[in-house]
Amino acid sequence: MKNKSKASKTSEERRESLAKLLQEQGLKIYNELDRGEFPKFSVPSRSVSNIVYDKKLRQYILGNTASIRSARNMSQLRSFTQLIWLAFFANKLVQEKKSSTLRDIYYSSQAFSIDFEDQPESDNIIVDLEAVLARPREDLHIFPEERSSVFGDLTIEYTVPGYEGKRTNLSDHPDGYLIGPSLSSAELVDTNAELVIAIEKGGLFTRFVEEKVDKKFKAIIVDTAGQAPRSTRYLLKRLHEEMSLPVVILTDGDVYGEHIAMVIKSGSANAAHLRELTVPDAKWIGVWATDIEKYKLPTIPMTESDIKRIYDLQKDPRYQEGMWKKELEVFLKLKRKAELEAFSKYGLTNITDKYLPEKLEIAKSL
Amino acid sequence: MSSSKESFNQISPSEFFYRNRDLAGFSNPTRSLYTAVREFVENALDACDQAGILPDVYLSIKAVDDEQADPKPYVLTVKDNGPGIDSKHIPLAFGTVLYGSKFGLKQARGMFGLGATMAILYGQITTNKPVAVKSSTDGQNQDEYELLLDIQKNKPIIVKHNTKEISKRGLSVSICLEGDYSKAGSKIRDYVYQTSLITPYATITFEDPKGEKFHQTKIVKTMPPAPTIIRPHPHGIDVETIRRMMVDSHFQIPTVDNKMIEKVRKELGLKKKNLNHSQIMEKASKRWPNLSRHVRVVIAVMSFLKMDFEKLSKIRIDDMDIANKKLVYWDFGESKSVSVDLDPESEYYRQLTNTVQGETLLSFLTKRFQRIGQATAVKFTEFANFKPEKRIGTMTNQELVKLSDSLQKFEDFLSPDPSCLAPLGEEPLKKGMAQFFKPDFLEVVQRGASAYSGFPFIVEMGIAYGGEIKSVGQTVYRFANRIPLLYDEGSDVVLKVVNEIDWTRYKVKNDAPLVIVSHICSTRIPYKTVGKENVADRPEIERELRLALQFLARKLATFMSKRGQAEMEKKRANLYSKYIPLVAQFCTELAGKKKEPDYKKMLKMEAMVEE
Repeated sequence: MKNKSKASKTSEERRESLAKLLQEQGLKIYNELDRGEFPKFSVPSRSVSNIVYDKKLRQYILGNTASIRSARNMSQLRSFTQLIWLAFFANKLVQEKKSSTLRDIYYSSQAFSIDFEDQPESDNIIVDLEAVLARPREDLHIFPEERSSVFGDLTIEYTVPGYEGKRTNLSDHPDGYLIGPSLSSAELVDTNAELVIAIEKGGLFTRFVEEKVDKKFKAIIVDTAGQAPRSTRYLLKRLHEEMSLPVVILTDGDVYGEHIAMVIKSGSANAAHLRELTVPDAKWIGVWATDIEKYKLPTIPMTESDIKRIYDLQKDPRYQEGMWKKELEVFLKLKRKAELEAFSKYGLTNITDKYLPEKLEIAKSL
Repeated sequence: MSSSKESFNQISPSEFFYRNRDLAGFSNPTRSLYTAVREFVENALDACDQAGILPDVYLSIKAVDDEQADPKPYVLTVKDNGPGIDSKHIPLAFGTVLYGSKFGLKQARGMFGLGATMAILYGQITTNKPVAVKSSTDGQNQDEYELLLDIQKNKPIIVKHNTKEISKRGLSVSICLEGDYSKAGSKIRDYVYQTSLITPYATITFEDPKGEKFHQTKIVKTMPPAPTIIRPHPHGIDVETIRRMMVDSHFQIPTVDNKMIEKVRKELGLKKKNLNHSQIMEKASKRWPNLSRHVRVVIAVMSFLKMDFEKLSKIRIDDMDIANKKLVYWDFGESKSVSVDLDPESEYYRQLTNTVQGETLLSFLTKRFQRIGQATAVKFTEFANFKPEKRIGTMTNQELVKLSDSLQKFEDFLSPDPSCLAPLGEEPLKKGMAQFFKPDFLEVVQRGASAYSGFPFIVEMGIAYGGEIKSVGQTVYRFANRIPLLYDEGSDVVLKVVNEIDWTRYKVKNDAPLVIVSHICSTRIPYKTVGKENVADRPEIERELRLALQFLARKLATFMSKRGQAEMEKKRANLYSKYIPLVAQFCTELAGKKKEPDYKKMLKMEAMVEE
């Protein structure tokens, strides 16, 4: 039984440091205005030329280029105001422990005569604020529509209003728990699990629960529902760091699956301005290109866009060595792909009975 | 072959126009109503212009029967405050074709007053109603006529004539004609509107058949300077014009008709008395110094014919062949042509040759043309290879063609005298446009006089932008000699010049609300078609139009960039006052402060810096 008493205050600490950060920004602008100066933000540039791969951090990060967004500049005044409004609005969300979605933000703005033309514009301002604060939007209580879930022996303690102090074990409900705002802001109390298995597909997630993979392998199972959302990646990171659990990833046997694993491991270019979403030690255990032949899996041919995606990823610095490079090459050679469900050819439980144990064994040596 | 024998009857001018009325714009009820309005309004304005009177023109069109469907008879009335027409001239002026006073060479709206008579003729044909003319030249007595036109004889029929006392000078013409106002209405309203625009010194009232009233009081109270009648410029003439000028110079054999014979008898003191040939000759030589030029010529002719008055009245002089020294006449009594030898020794011979041969070329050039002095005339005769003392009456057809060609080609003539032109002037044009369009920006320009093919012309142009102009893109109002051109604008030179200009170079968007008024004044507008609605693209005119438009566009560009800056300032101020208070509000809450920062002084400072 791992009881992380020290980590139990993590959520609260994060909230407080964020509140302080927001107040600092507000104060800075307040003082500038009071001195008769036009206030400004320094927004790290998110253009392609400013995104670099940091080998030490093992993720993409933003370079040093930043642009000044000033209230003096007429073409920036509107977005400047939107930015400070968002900070103001997020501050209220954090203070009141309420959450909102991206869509909510777009509509809420209209009550303050901050006219976002469309949701993409407001989404963009949200990313700007993330970059200014170097904090993910989830910290600001702003969430995308959720669809990924978690199941397994993990006790959490809610911090959301009305549930403060209430504890739940995530193995209590067989469909799993939605990784939403309340789960993201909850404290992780304790667990008996020794492993986290992130799986790409909801169907397989359900199979794993039915086959009691959580018990058989002492695992917490996470459904990433395709490319893992930020909150899911954040949960994986916390499970790894706060609960010291190793993370393994199981995806379809294609180039997209390989990249889903890579993003959990080392982030995406889209989120290069954020540094708390990666699990560099996470391990991709399958389905590898080499597994397709090894397990004689039924395959389907790759599409042109699959092949193009391989060529694109071959230019990515993270795919320049080791298994990442090798698997891409095999995929390119095979020009065929296999889904996780392909194991059903050998019986519905083949994947949990045979494949998974073998791969977990291999993972130890990765 | 008697069946193929055709009879060649002379037709009267009325008959000719009756048969060719569509040439003059009377082809159908729609077009005819519009043309009639134009002719009468333009005559009224011309009459006032010539008399130096600020025009007050009243136009009304009333249906004879409101219920009837178009086309139907309308009563068209045009009333002016002009000089009026002398009572004795009225029947001829309104009851015959080709009677008019506008024969000189100067700028006027219409020519010869022909169109008005055509309208009357058209009205009579379609409704069989007389024209009603009311005229007062002194502002006390008014002559009122009702006239019909005898088309075959080209003679007026006076249906009614009476006089009465009134208190206003001017002319009123009223005709009944078949028209189609439902179709012609919009064009007529456009015409009246645009005429008011280009005649800002006139008061114009229009009452239409529906009872709607257009009224434009004069905007300026001064007449533009009147044009003067001038002689033609040598570059602007052709062979036919030269021929007419020679006839006009009175060096010709008089027609020996009864009227002429009466005149001769009177001057010789032989009104009642009949003398024989030699007695007449004797009488003539005694009275010679007191005889008029024409009578002297008739006497000279009689001396060779050896005839008395009785005989003379029965012949027609056909030819005076000086080269062969022969005189040819037609004898009505004998029905034959007779030739008589001319004796060069006779004292009357010189009189005849002088008459027939006309004045010398030198005198013809200097007296009949503008811009030709003695020196230029001599230089020209050398250029054209004519003897200066050559008599113009002796010129053969080929020589006339050569003279005409040389006049065209000779480059040392000064350019035409523009004093015959009557541009509106920059000030009246500007005031008129200001009143009509109430724009944000207005500029006008009058170019200097220029000439094409011997005809002087002046281009006036105005440009108006914004304000109450709500159009999308440019509206172009075209005028020629103060007449609006409403049809066929597609092929007009003005449109061509406007369309060719690159507005973006002048900071003007293509859909900017813009009005361009173009006025071309000339003694002869080079119309493309007989309809007189579009001006042909003569390079000289095109160039002047372009220079005028470019000048105006540059002025507009200056205005636009100033205005652009001002608008930017305004936009800035608006943006700041919209967003900065919001920024202040949000950061106050974010910072956890109670009082908002003092941002107002910043907005004020900003406004000052930008000024």
